[in-house]
Amino acid sequence: MKLGTVIGRVTLSKSVDSLEGGTFLIVIPFSRAQFAAGLDKSAVMGTDPSLVIYDNLGADVRQIVSYEEGREAAQPFEQPTPIDAISIVLVDEMFYRPWQG
Amino acid sequence: MLLARVEGNIVGTRKHPSLEGWRLVVCQPIGMTGEPEGAPQVAIDSHGAATHQEVIISSDGMAARLAVGDERSPVRWLVVGIVDEHEPGKRI
Repeated sequence: MKLGTVIGRVTLSKSVDSLEGGTFLIVIPFSRAQFAAGLDKSAVMGTDPSLVIYDNLGADVRQIVSYEEGREAAQPFEQPTPIDAISIVLVDEMFYRPWQG
Repeated sequence: MLLARVEGNIVGTRKHPSLEGWRLVVCQPIGMTGEPEGAPQVAIDSHGAATHQEVIISSDGMAARLAVGDERSPVRWLVVGIVDEHEPGKRI
């Protein structure tokens, strides 16, 4: 799972049947610096490109989500579904203490 | 599998039902000398790994699904074990 900040939404007028009911979110992945800055700090674009994730938890813009990438993203669906990223936790709190060496 | 250091954990009420009751730890992948490599990963943990302990995390989705006991779970990363020592490198 990775953490990311929701920065926008994508709407589809036509989609694969099994994807109906969910939304698509544009997400900026958390960099190490963003982890250290905390959840309240506004999202900064890091080196990783933004991506679109499928969401059926009801995440809103500016919220922090934890999303899973890869084959496992399609696992919750009954039939084969063409997605490779899905939100699985809406993050309320994070406790983070970077290792200083 | 990746060598990583536990640097924290996350809490969320709204989540996939299969993650109910599971600890979600923030794991920073590290190199042999302990330097961070890339962005942190969040993994499920059943071992009770403490902050700044070194762990091995695996991206085996099927093993993670077995662990949570839900065939429809999207979970992928899990803490496989807690590292006592590795070579080269100092004991932690």
